[in-house]
Amino acid sequence: MQTLADLDLPFLPVEEPAFAAEPVRYFREARTKHPWLARSNVGFMIHELTAIRELLGQDDRFRPAYDGIVDQMGAHGTPWGRFTEQQLISLPVAQHRLLRDAFAAKFTPRFANQLRPMMQATITRLLDEWAPKGGFDFEEFASYFPISNMFTLVGAPIEEIPGIRSSLETLGLAFSMDKSRLPAIHEAYDRLEDLVQRLIAQRRADPEGGNPDDLLHLLIKTADEGGVDQRQLADLIIFFFVAGYDTSKNVLTHTMRLLMQHPEMYERCATDFEYCRKVLDEGLRYFNPGSVPRFTNEDIVFRDVLLPKDTMVWFNLNISGRDEGVFEDPDDFNPDRQLQPNQRHVAFSLGKHMCLGQYIARAQLQEALHQIAQRLRNPRLTGEFGWRPYPGAWGLKGLPIAFTPADKRLEA
Amino acid sequence: MVQVTYVEADGTRHTVEVKPGSSLMQGAVWNGVPGIVAECGGNCACGTCRVYVEEPWRAPTGEASDMEEATMEIREDERAGKRLSCQIKVTEALDGLVVHMPPSQF
Repeated sequence: MQTLADLDLPFLPVEEPAFAAEPVRYFREARTKHPWLARSNVGFMIHELTAIRELLGQDDRFRPAYDGIVDQMGAHGTPWGRFTEQQLISLPVAQHRLLRDAFAAKFTPRFANQLRPMMQATITRLLDEWAPKGGFDFEEFASYFPISNMFTLVGAPIEEIPGIRSSLETLGLAFSMDKSRLPAIHEAYDRLEDLVQRLIAQRRADPEGGNPDDLLHLLIKTADEGGVDQRQLADLIIFFFVAGYDTSKNVLTHTMRLLMQHPEMYERCATDFEYCRKVLDEGLRYFNPGSVPRFTNEDIVFRDVLLPKDTMVWFNLNISGRDEGVFEDPDDFNPDRQLQPNQRHVAFSLGKHMCLGQYIARAQLQEALHQIAQRLRNPRLTGEFGWRPYPGAWGLKGLPIAFTPADKRLEA
Repeated sequence: MVQVTYVEADGTRHTVEVKPGSSLMQGAVWNGVPGIVAECGGNCACGTCRVYVEEPWRAPTGEASDMEEATMEIREDERAGKRLSCQIKVTEALDGLVVHMPPSQF
């Protein structure tokens, strides 16, 4: 058995901009030195898809490490630090199960499908407003879609979208492990907390005031019936915003980048709704925003390597779909790729912490892509794009495009 | 132990011994039966452990809960006897159970 010290593991400069621009190259180079494990300044990195599949679902042996992030950021005792340490995913086992079970029924495929008309109306409204411009930063445009859906779902006032969007942008960078961002993170968190507390208070004061079928109503009802306290209810809604914003935005933006390299696929998305689902799944293999932080709960021996108890590791979901040991031509974007179950992407994680919002995310991305392909014809890149920090919610920073505006296709 | 047969979409049969008290999903995964993915590990969250329960086993395996039904709506599926195998508890009464698996869980 080998210890971590025995291994002389490759080092990955994950916090550097150059790394965020092409992490796949760095990981491939690291794999020449060790097939599945690397080290970094923020913890060990488990990056091979097969290793992720074999380890990440072992819920009893790993625990979420968001307290480790708060620790590294030096933010214990702050409102953002408290939230990050006590959010749904970080709760002790029994409490997590109670809360997740209470709310899971509101995040099923059935519920997501019921939301599709709302999602369709949202993307139509956004495209009506943005498409006539003939060109814009696609990332900025895309950012208004998930946040508009979330605002509708909890009955939040739409005039507050710009401010909360700004807060979510900041909070999306919170796990980049850059301490200089802390003052902005605290300010952003306070604004979001204020909105969520107001929404809950207003709805409690006037239960008939909002949409009786909306998510806020369902969550308050579920919380009251399940004995969930006010703090946990507010945290869950804050978590809903934080988890649902730049994940969906970054996936939609990157998928657009890929599709601009494959105009024939983009054209097909305008007419073939089911094909949009395949494009998004292949897009999630090729790119996804997430790296998942965990602590080991016990000494774990994997492939003859000892990971001691309380070691911080990151599961690099985001690049695992480009694993050249698992995929033939991993850098080819091919929505018709035939995959075995063990080649399936893990963008929504595995095990009991698997993304609660995955069906809402999948539905809204499919609805968006189908309409975008109809309304923004012949899109092309008109400038350079950048990259967001790799740790946390990775993705493109800006995607300037021009296109020919078109009317919405009338469905037969 | 309880004998369970998992049938792949191409007709390949896997008859294995499953410990009572475990889930039908665990019975497949722990015995290396292909075709049950179970990405969420048995939390009724991913819909990737779908099976079709053969008669006369539908009554003994019970009805799907609302949550299970809502999760199975990840795709259209009119086939009778559909269940998520993580939600079926294996008991002595299920000795001889036969379930079929879809061509793909995705």
